[in-house]
Formats: sequence, C-alpha cells, structure tokens
Amino acid sequence: MGSEARKRSREKLKEQREKERRSARRKKNLLVVGIAAAVVLLIVGVGYAVMTSGEDEGYEGELAAQVLQEDGSVVMADEGVSVPVVEVYADYQCPACRQFELLNGDLLKERAASGEAIVHFRPVSIFAQQPTPISSNSLRAGAAARAAADHGVFVAYNDLLFENQPAEGRAGFTVDELKEWFRQTDADESQASEFDERVDAEAEIVDRFTEEFLPDLTADATEEIGEETLGTMVLTDLLAWGADNGHDPSFLDGTYTGEIIDATGTAYTRYSGDNMFRGTPAVYINGELLDNNSAMTARGLSEAIASASAGEVETEPMGDGGDAE
Amino acid sequence: MTDTLDDTPKAPTRWETIQPWISLACRLGLAAVLITAAVTKYPPALSIQAVEAYDLFPTEVARLIGYTLPLFELALALLLLLGLATRYSGAVGAILMVLFIAGIVSAMARGLSIDCGCFGGGGQVDPEETSYGVSIARDVAFAAMGAFVAIWPRSPFALDRVLGLYR
Repeated sequence: MGSEARKRSREKLKEQREKERRSARRKKNLLVVGIAAAVVLLIVGVGYAVMTSGEDEGYEGELAAQVLQEDGSVVMADEGVSVPVVEVYADYQCPACRQFELLNGDLLKERAASGEAIVHFRPVSIFAQQPTPISSNSLRAGAAARAAADHGVFVAYNDLLFENQPAEGRAGFTVDELKEWFRQTDADESQASEFDERVDAEAEIVDRFTEEFLPDLTADATEEIGEETLGTMVLTDLLAWGADNGHDPSFLDGTYTGEIIDATGTAYTRYSGDNMFRGTPAVYINGELLDNNSAMTARGLSEAIASASAGEVETEPMGDGGDAE
Repeated sequence: MTDTLDDTPKAPTRWETIQPWISLACRLGLAAVLITAAVTKYPPALSIQAVEAYDLFPTEVARLIGYTLPLFELALALLLLLGLATRYSGAVGAILMVLFIAGIVSAMARGLSIDCGCFGGGGQVDPEETSYGVSIARDVAFAAMGAFVAIWPRSPFALDRVLGLYR
C-alpha cells in the first residue's frame, strides 16, 4: 500500500516534470519565433523606408514652360536656363515606362520648375511593329500625346496616359478614353473639339497602318529580303524599302502617327556605342544614357541630375506658334 | 540532475547522422536562392512592373509588393543562414514558393505571356518565350527544400541549437 502510493506520487512527479519541460520548450519556441519575426519586420521596414526615402511626395506646383519642338518632342524648362538636359524616351504602351513615370515623373517636374533641369520628353513607339492591340495602342496614344502638345497640355496628358496604361495585349487607349482624358487637363472646350478631330483622324491612320499596310508590307518584305535581314531593320528602314517596292507610305505624311514612327527611327540612329538607344524607357542626361539603377530609382536620377553640367537641347522649337502656354 | 527518462544511449541510425546535413544544405541552398531572387529584383520600379504584369493587384498593392517582396526574401534568407526559428523559416519559405506557383499558374490559365519575374526581369514576353513549366518546376524544388527544413529542422551551425532548440 505504502509502496503503491510512493509509486503513484513518483509518477505524478514525473508527469509534472515532463509538463514543465514541455511548457518551457513552448515558451522558448515562442521566444525564438518572436525574435525571428522581429528580424523580418526590421529588415522589411527599414529597407522600405530607405528605398522610398528619396521619393518625392508628388509635385502639385506650377509646371515649367512646355515648348513643342519641330520633331514633335516637348521641352519642359524655365526659359533661358543653362542646366543639364534630361531626355526621356518612352512608349505609352511600355510597362517599364509607366513605372518610370510613376516613380520619377514628379521629380522631373519639380527639377524643371525649380530651374535645375531641362526635361526633354521624346515619345516614341517601339511597339509599332508588335501585333495589335499593342502596336495600335502605342501609336494611338503617341499621336494623342502629340495632339495634346498642340494645346500646351502635353505634360498633364502624358501623366494621364501612363496612369491609364492598358495591360500589354489588352485593348485600351480607345478614342473615347483619349478624348475624355484631354478634358481632364486645363484645355478649354474649343481646344477639345480640335483635339477630338485630330484623334479621330489619327485613329483611322493607325488602324490602316497596323491592320492593312504593315502586315502587307511585312509579308512582302519577308518574302523578298528574308526574315533575318528584316529582323535587323528598324521600322523606318522597312517603310523606305516599302516605298520603293509598291507600298506607298505617303498616307502617313503630315500625321502624328507618321511623326512618332519617324521619331522612333531617328532615336535608333541618334546615339552610338554605350549610349545606343535600345529600348524604353531610355533616359539620357546631356546625351549620356543612364543605367537602370540611376534612371529607375528616385535617388539615382536625382544624383545624376545634380552631378551633371549644363547641356544643350538639340531640337529647335516649332516655329509656327504650335506651342500654346 | 541525471535524467533517466529517455536518455538511453543508442547508436544513431544512418538517417539520424545524415539528416542534419541535408537540412543544412537545404537551409543554405534556399537562402542562396532567396538572396539571388532579391538582389536581381533591384531596382524596385522594375520589380513593381513584374508584379503588375501578373495583372492581379491594384496599383498601390503591386507597388507595395514590388518594394517589400525582395526585402522579405532577404530577411527570410538571413533567418535560414543563421538557423533562427529554422522550422518556421523553412515552412514560410515553402509557403512562399507555393504562392509563387499559384501566381504563375494563374498567369498561365489566363493566357498571359509574361516572364515570372522570379529572378529580376518580368513583364511581357513573346508567347513562344514563356517558360512557365520551368519556373513552376524550379519553385516546386525550392518548396521541397523549405518543407524538408520545416519537417526536420535539426541541423548544425544553427542559432536555434545555441538557444536550445532542435538539439
């Protein structure tokens, strides 16, 4: 009887000890997990704070003057300043361009407004030869941005296009949307009706170009000069070949669609060596191509501008009062 | 105090000898993968673009993921390297891979042709150039590594051991 009781109490003690051990273990586990979670939070939190610290809150102030250039590009700068020239090549259908604009668009506005930079917007259409709707979206938006520049609201319109960029391969930048966004800028109603007319006309040109002209031309060229050579030709070269081979591109003359195709072709030949234009977004300071770490971070771009010397805008302003301020 | 409960010394089995080293290899391997994935996602603007290409999140959420996912990957890699909360780090790593796989499968199912953006890159590619199969297979292997660590967290060179866990 006595030994029975002792045995039982010993077992109880054992159980008790085991329980304590388990609870201590659980506590330790919890502590370690807590420490680990704290480490993760610290790294993510501090990292996020550091990476976003250079980003501006957004720029709502007055914009520097926007001057339309002869080639359809737009220079945003205070008059007569002698500061670095930041050239931005972008395609409205290009997702990385959208990210550049969302990240650094306001920084550029701010630098231009404070007289620290001359910002040269050079819209291009590197996607003009992609399948529709990628090509047509890109061209329609480019032409619309050019039409907005006629009314001195390029920068605001440029923002709106990137904010509303359709996913690649989806229909978007519809004529109705393009018109509606124009009305969200400072333009007045008479400008809006002029803009509408232009956008309607350009949309027809874009359709003709992307749905009939270019597929026919490409098919012929593939047959005549081979896919391989064709792959190395920029669109403007292909158009020149087509002009000599029964594909008259003159319906593009005088259109903004044609203008953005030309601007894209010129971009490919403007630079050489390391500065070669290869795709968008391409950001140049005084003709020097920035790498991604500079162009695609707020701090990188800010430092690149601050450390550059004064540059020259290479284009001439449009002579015929094309710019309205 | 001597403990006579379960300390009966017996020769370790082959598995008991090998397993800690496999766990260590999985820890280090997964950490290396996560660090590579995090570093190649820089700068964040391009990582955001890769997230947006999945077309699953609103702009602000995509932006947040674009910034914090690489940081989270780095932090998880650090835990695995240190061997801190090994079981949970491994489990979270495996879950993360399963989430990635779900994302890729959803992109595939919706007929998107994107790069997974797993190791930088991301965004649209030509339909012939998608490599969903490879990406998924890769992530399955990484998930298996995480799962192994979660199931058998006992491994050498781990802070957990110093703290008295998984001895």
